[in-house]
Amino acid sequence: MGEVVVLAVSAVLLAGFYAAMAYGLGLIYGVLRIVNLAHGGIIMASAYVTWQLFDRFAIDPFLAIPIVLVVFFAIGVGIYLGLVRFLPRGPAGAVQSLLLLFGVWLVIRNVAYLLFTGNEQVIHTGYATSSVRILGGSFSATRLAVFAVATVALFTLHLLLTRTYLGKAIRAVAQNPDSCTLAGINVERIYVFTFGLGTALAGLAGTLASTLFAFNPSFGASELLKSFVIIVLGGLGSIVGIALGALVLAFAEVFAVYAVPPYLTTAVGFVLLVVVLVLRPGGLFGQRVLR
Amino acid sequence: MLEVRDIDVFYGDAQALYGVGFTVAEGELVTLVGANGAGKTTILRAVAGIRPVARGDLLFEGEPLRRVPAHRRPGLGIALVPEGRELWPQLTVRENLELGAYDRAARARAAESFAHVYDLFPKLKDRAGQLAGSMSGGEQQMVAIGRALMSRPRLLMMDEPSLGLAPLVVGQMFAAVRRLHADGLTILLVEQNLARALKVADRGYVIETGTVSLTGTSEQLLADPAVRAAYLGV
Repeated sequence: MGEVVVLAVSAVLLAGFYAAMAYGLGLIYGVLRIVNLAHGGIIMASAYVTWQLFDRFAIDPFLAIPIVLVVFFAIGVGIYLGLVRFLPRGPAGAVQSLLLLFGVWLVIRNVAYLLFTGNEQVIHTGYATSSVRILGGSFSATRLAVFAVATVALFTLHLLLTRTYLGKAIRAVAQNPDSCTLAGINVERIYVFTFGLGTALAGLAGTLASTLFAFNPSFGASELLKSFVIIVLGGLGSIVGIALGALVLAFAEVFAVYAVPPYLTTAVGFVLLVVVLVLRPGGLFGQRVLR
Repeated sequence: MLEVRDIDVFYGDAQALYGVGFTVAEGELVTLVGANGAGKTTILRAVAGIRPVARGDLLFEGEPLRRVPAHRRPGLGIALVPEGRELWPQLTVRENLELGAYDRAARARAAESFAHVYDLFPKLKDRAGQLAGSMSGGEQQMVAIGRALMSRPRLLMMDEPSLGLAPLVVGQMFAAVRRLHADGLTILLVEQNLARALKVADRGYVIETGTVSLTGTSEQLLADPAVRAAYLGV
C-alpha cells in the first residue's frame, strides 16, 4: 500500500513537468495548426543554456528561468518571423511546416554537437541530493521544485488565456482567425506572440529537465514524442485537458513498473497513444479546439 | 460617408466585381440586393478589407481606405457582421462581445457598449456566460451584430442577417436593424430577401453579375417593373 502511494505521488510530480513540457506544443498547434517539430530541439537547447548559465555565471537553474523565458520567447519570435511566416496557411502548409521545423531541430542539434560535443552533461546543484519526506516516501527537493514551477507556470498561463484581452484574442484566433481580423485583432501579431510563448514554454521545460536528467544534443526527442502523446490524450483543448493528459501518461509510465521491464516503460506512452487514437480519435477528454 | 468608386475584385483569375460604384451617406440605410453570387458579399468584404481591391478607390469619410489593413478598419468606425455569423463557438457570449471592442478606443468604452447591446438584445444578457456555439441561430446572429456594435461603428455592414433563421426571428432581426437606423447609425445591408430589405432601407442598389445594374430609392425600386419581374415574381 505504502509503495502505491509513493508511486502515485511520484507520478503526480512527473505529470507537472510533463504538462509544462507539452503545453508549448499544444498552444502552437491549437493556434497556428502547426506541429512544432523543433519543440524537442528547443528543450535541449534550453537545457544547455541553463547549464552554461550555471557553469559560467553560477546562476541557479531555477533563478535562470526568467532569463530563459525571455531568451526563448525571442528565439521563437525569430523562428516565426524568419521562417514560419512564409509557409502557406492551412492544410497546404502542413507538410512544409513539418519539414521546415524538423530542419530547424537538426540545425539546433548539430550546433549543440559542435559547441558542446556529444558528452552527457549534468547540472550539480548544491541541493541535488536533498530530499523531502511526503506520505512516507522520500522525494528529491529538485523534483518538488520542478512540480511547483510547472504548476505556477500553467496557472499563470491559464489566467493569461482566460482573463486578458490578449489571451482571449489568442483563443479566438484558434477558433476563427477571419472573424478576428473583422474585430480589429491583428492576427499576424497573435501568431508571432503565440509562437514566442510556445517556444518560451519549451525553454522552461528544458530548464526544468536539465535539473532532473542528464542531457546531450540528442536530448528532446522523447520529450517531443511524449508532448505529442499528451496533447492527443488531452485533446488539445484547455489547460485542464493537457494536465489530465499529462497525469494519464505519468501514471501509466510510473505504474508500468508492475507490468513491464523498466526499459519498456517509455513505450507505454506510445501504446497508450495508439489505443486512444484508435478508440477515441478526439482525445480522451474531447475538445479538439483551444478553448 | 462611404464612397466606392469603380472597384474591381478578383478571386484568383476569376473577376467577381466589375467597376462597382456606390455611396452611403451619413445616417442612411442602404441595401445591396441581388441574386446569389452576384457579388454583394464581395463588396462588403472589400470595404472591410479582407478581400483585396485590384482597381478603383474606397473612401471612408473622405479618406482613402485601400492602404488601411483590415484589422485597422474597425478602429476607423467600419464594422462587418459577416455572412454565417462567424462567432468564436467555444468562447462565451460575453467574451465574443468583449473581443468586438478589441480596438483601444472601443475598449475604453466597453461598459457603455455592453449596456447598449444588452438593451438592444436583452436575451444576450441572460445568456452572457453561455458558450456562443451552444446558442440557437437567431441568438448567434444577435451575438454577431452585438459584437460588431461593440467596436462603436459609424458604418455597420450586415451580410444576410436573416439567412437561415425562422420567420419570427427574421422579423426580430429586421426590427433591430430598423431601431439601429432610427438611432442614427449608418447601415449598409446585404440581403437576398429584396422585398423585406427595401421595406427598411432608404435606398438600394441592385447588383447583377458583379456590377450595379439599377439604383434608386426603395419606393422606386419596389415599383420598378424589371425588379418586380426578376426578384418579386410579379
